[in-house]
Amino acid sequence: MTAARYIADRLLAAVRFLWGAWAGLAALAMLAALWQTGHEAYGDFILPAPLATLAAAATILTAPSNWTIALDTVRRALQGFAMATLAGLTAGLIAGYSAATMRLARPLITVILGVPPIAWIVLAMIWFGPTDGTVLLTIVIAAFPLMFAGAAEGVAGRDRSLDDMAKAFGAGVWRRVTTIGLRQVAAQVFPATTISLGTAFKVAVMAELLANTGGVGGALARARSNLDVAAALAWIMIVVAALIAVEYCVLHPIRSAFERWREAARPWGVKR
Amino acid sequence: MTALTLAGIGHAYLGRTVLDNVELAVAPGEVVALVGASGCGKSTLVQIAAGIIEPMRGRTVRSYARQGMVFQEPRLMPWATAVDNIAYPLKLVGVPYGERRGRARAAAARVALAADDLGKFPVALSGGMRQRAAIARALVVEPDFVFFDEPFTALDQALKRRMQDLVIEAATMQAFAALFITHDLIEAVRIAHRIAVLDLNGRGVAGERTLPGVPGMRQDRDIFDEVQSFLHDDPLFCHINDVDERREA
Repeated sequence: MTAARYIADRLLAAVRFLWGAWAGLAALAMLAALWQTGHEAYGDFILPAPLATLAAAATILTAPSNWTIALDTVRRALQGFAMATLAGLTAGLIAGYSAATMRLARPLITVILGVPPIAWIVLAMIWFGPTDGTVLLTIVIAAFPLMFAGAAEGVAGRDRSLDDMAKAFGAGVWRRVTTIGLRQVAAQVFPATTISLGTAFKVAVMAELLANTGGVGGALARARSNLDVAAALAWIMIVVAALIAVEYCVLHPIRSAFERWREAARPWGVKR
Repeated sequence: MTALTLAGIGHAYLGRTVLDNVELAVAPGEVVALVGASGCGKSTLVQIAAGIIEPMRGRTVRSYARQGMVFQEPRLMPWATAVDNIAYPLKLVGVPYGERRGRARAAAARVALAADDLGKFPVALSGGMRQRAAIARALVVEPDFVFFDEPFTALDQALKRRMQDLVIEAATMQAFAALFITHDLIEAVRIAHRIAVLDLNGRGVAGERTLPGVPGMRQDRDIFDEVQSFLHDDPLFCHINDVDERREA
């Protein structure tokens, strides 16, 4: 395919993607309607109106210091996510290709999953104090097993007949992994990536709140002590907006470029 | 002078012997059809010959430079376009992107794969087109040996003939040697210089028959007569249509 054709193809995919945003907006509008109903039933103190919350969020974001708070959380979440992804993918690939490693790793993963996240936060607070380290460790612990399982499953479930094909054409182990294996793992890993990104944001806020390390979690703690429900909801809205921005502006375009061939299987009809 | 020599090949899956003491030699430029009853270990043998499986016993001597292989299923990478799939073996040997695309296009033209199908993904191609792409992928390296593992079993009669003609033509033009696995005697007689019959239980090659004439020049009538005489008068072929379900996946 020529470069021009490729660019046209990607542009078309982008337009289709944006058009798909209407469905997302409709879902959000429905949520807002439910929220409004709750507001009208319980009053301003328990549940401020969605528009009022939106206004509060806008007010919060007018102050540059609040941008720093929000970006702190986003930075920690992304840093933790990157570390968990790197570690999880590496470990998952090794475990996928080596059955012995897998047998050793599986019980360890169960142990990691079995320890409640709140316990990790307590431990991390003791080890790192109120620093970034506490938040990052908690994120990595929470997101690592997801990425590990995704990568290991991807390797285990790969199409071995393609490996044989590559072998018949003289591909060594390393070339088979890079040209055939990783590509198949990627398809399995993308769903895990979205889940672990969401986890990273949630855990970042939770760890910040408990460890008192500032960020959106700190702002939420402050809102709680002031009984400022509007501010709390506004901060939640800001975090969710940040997550959506990262997911739809970074992860989804990468994913759709990787899965162009799946689109080809559906020449018409509803696209994802 | 041989292109491929299999000496005393034996193999077992989980302790169950599927091949034992198989001796076979293929001369340069010679197409050998390997036939045998279903489940007698043909597939395992060709995978050993192509280096996909390590045999438990015996030796494989390959005295050719480049090999290609066509499988029963096309085995195309679903995420790559037809042209990238065809170019894959060239990518493995480090041919630069532009050159390998050019060579892939040339190989595609040789198997009559339309130019506007080359940008499509395998899911968008028909079964015949996919198998054409798989043949082009085997031819793109300009091999001097090609392994065929029952490549046309899943195709309908008309398509099968077209594909066989393609292989005969390519083998004549590029002068490669080939080991062609099939359980279809007509196919074997059309394509090959020589037929080797694998023993019913994989215990060696039961026998060989050199075919008269040159592949591609034989008349349909003669092919039919040859197959009939093999089936009715030649004890070597009496088990060829026996069905044994212990086929390996």
